[in-house]
Amino acid sequence: MNIGEMLASAWDSLSANKLRAFLTMLGILIGVASIIAIVAIGQGGKSAIIDVIESQRAQQTVEILPKEVVQPGLPQPGQVLSFSDEDFFIARQFHGVADVSYTLSGQGNVAFRDKAVNTSIEGGPNDLNDLANFDVVTGRMFTSIDVLAHRRVGVVSHSLAQKLFGNDASAIGQVVKVGGQPVQVVGVAVSNQFNLLATFFGSDYLYMPATTCKDLFPWWNISEMDVLVTPGTDKADLARRIVTALNIHAHNADAFIDSSGFLVGIEKTVGTVTSILTLVIGAVAGIALIVGGVGVMNIMLVSVTERTEEIGIRMSLGATRAAILVQFLLESVMITVMGGAIGILLGISASWLIHWFTPLPSVVSWQAVVIGFFFSVVIGVLCGLYPANKASKLNPIDALRYE
Amino acid sequence: MIRLRNVCKSYPSGDTELRVLKEVSLDVSEGEFVSIMGPSGSGKSTLMHIIGCLDVPTSGSYQFRNQHVGELSPVELARLRNQEIGFVFQNFHLLPRMSALRNVELPLVYAGERKDVRRARAMRLLSEVGLADRMHHLPNELSGGQKQRVAIARALANQPSLLLADEPTGALDTATGKDIMTLFQKLNENGMTIILITHDPHVASYATRVIRIVDGQIVDDQGRAGA
Ligand SMILES: Nc1ncnc2c1ncn2[C@@H]1O[C@H](COP(=O)(O)OP(=O)(O)O)[C@@H](O)[C@H]1O
Ligand SMILES: [Mg+2]
Repeated sequence: MNIGEMLASAWDSLSANKLRAFLTMLGILIGVASIIAIVAIGQGGKSAIIDVIESQRAQQTVEILPKEVVQPGLPQPGQVLSFSDEDFFIARQFHGVADVSYTLSGQGNVAFRDKAVNTSIEGGPNDLNDLANFDVVTGRMFTSIDVLAHRRVGVVSHSLAQKLFGNDASAIGQVVKVGGQPVQVVGVAVSNQFNLLATFFGSDYLYMPATTCKDLFPWWNISEMDVLVTPGTDKADLARRIVTALNIHAHNADAFIDSSGFLVGIEKTVGTVTSILTLVIGAVAGIALIVGGVGVMNIMLVSVTERTEEIGIRMSLGATRAAILVQFLLESVMITVMGGAIGILLGISASWLIHWFTPLPSVVSWQAVVIGFFFSVVIGVLCGLYPANKASKLNPIDALRYE
Repeated sequence: MIRLRNVCKSYPSGDTELRVLKEVSLDVSEGEFVSIMGPSGSGKSTLMHIIGCLDVPTSGSYQFRNQHVGELSPVELARLRNQEIGFVFQNFHLLPRMSALRNVELPLVYAGERKDVRRARAMRLLSEVGLADRMHHLPNELSGGQKQRVAIARALANQPSLLLADEPTGALDTATGKDIMTLFQKLNENGMTIILITHDPHVASYATRVIRIVDGQIVDDQGRAGA
């Protein structure tokens, strides 16, 4: 039997009762739309978090951290939270090491005249802008001389400049008090990456030479060693050897770790957590789909009963049971596929709207679209099968006599 | 062509059973125009449904063109209804959401004909029954006589060898009924075997043979060809 004619006749039956057809597909529509939107938000959130983590890992740098800092446990005798001068000396001896610097960070008050802002303070080398992903848009970055000379200079983030000085330009050259000590502002920085965390945790930063920072806050731990490697060096191998040497020096095999492994671990965890979340919420949307499918089955049963006469007529004209079965199956699949298609469009639009109007990124995944479509077909078949089978099993004469 | 032997049909009714057809034996040859008359509830429609392979006898045998209908599979039965038998009903039984043209095409669809073939044949048939200007109308936009002519065109779509009509003029006024009967007569003159159920003696008079059924039994059979 001719598929074009069957599609046309399925379409006729649906359009004979448009409102009913629409209401019937609503469950599928909402289910598919929410699956696509939820997966889009989940994927978007995941890739945003991983972007943040990835960007922390500068290309030519190996980061070494005290293990206690990243995997805190109970305080133990001999635990290491900070690097010592000897640690830096040891690291510098390795072949393939171009430079070793450190960063340290904490919270502190930055005051200008009568204004004071609690600020994230980071000390680091003169390429801290690469490590911390910011661009100096006004003024200048501090230099290696500034670092060597322990100069009291700093770069403030745009938002901190706004709060203390009103605008970027008037920040340059001003002297602020950091922990009570004067520091001159030489530049204003803007983050050069989308930072999901910054949208939640604010973005008031002061960046200073590591040496200066250590002078002002001598009690802060030096919790990160940045080893700049020479081009062509095996980063992972070098990192492993330095970590081993540092651990031997500290008489503690677990004192330091290389951050790359640690970051990969975090990425995995973030991936798993968002995947599980996506799966759980997706399952809820799946339930909506099932409920929608039950609605489709219900309406198809009603439709079979209503159209008993039609079925009888078709059989009297030579329709086989298979033809009747396929006809009703096609109607059911047509409903769910139309619901699914509208749901896909709606889900994609919703993802775009969320992307535009909230800080949440969202990435529409083609897998979710394919799965949404696949499920609408499957539900159409599964939920249409019973009513269609019922229709095809009607006795032609009973169907014709039916009033 | 048709050979019924001791056909019985009964329906369970409470503790007993309702015997609608009782030992009906009937032969109809190719080219005959048979009308079946009888009071309401006498089993005429039931007999016609059995002849049309829409229903099966409770007992007895039925041969259509030397095939034992009882031995045919559902698919073969569907094919038989599609290819060999055309039905015309009192209440037309047109599909309400389809145009006259698509209604007539329907048996051709189930026969697996190509779209252009279907379209051409359906248009020709509708023209032959005088509905060339009503092809794209829906059934509810047609008069009773026009609906019945659509139904006849549909019944003829696959050039069946047997046309079954169950009170085809029952819902029509006398003049329109006459038109329809003239149409049947022309078909019969062209060799179509027709079995027609009616209450109306005037309608029955178009037939060459009249069978009377009372209470599920044939009580009179006049004009049998070759008899
Ligand atoms: N499916 C059925 N179940 C029970 N009784 C039926 C059924 N179909 C027909 N009958 C009965 O069979 C009898 C004959 O019906 P029918 O053949 O339609 O009569 P006619 O066409 O001669 O008026 C009626 O009494 C009717 O009630
Ligand atoms: Mg009747």
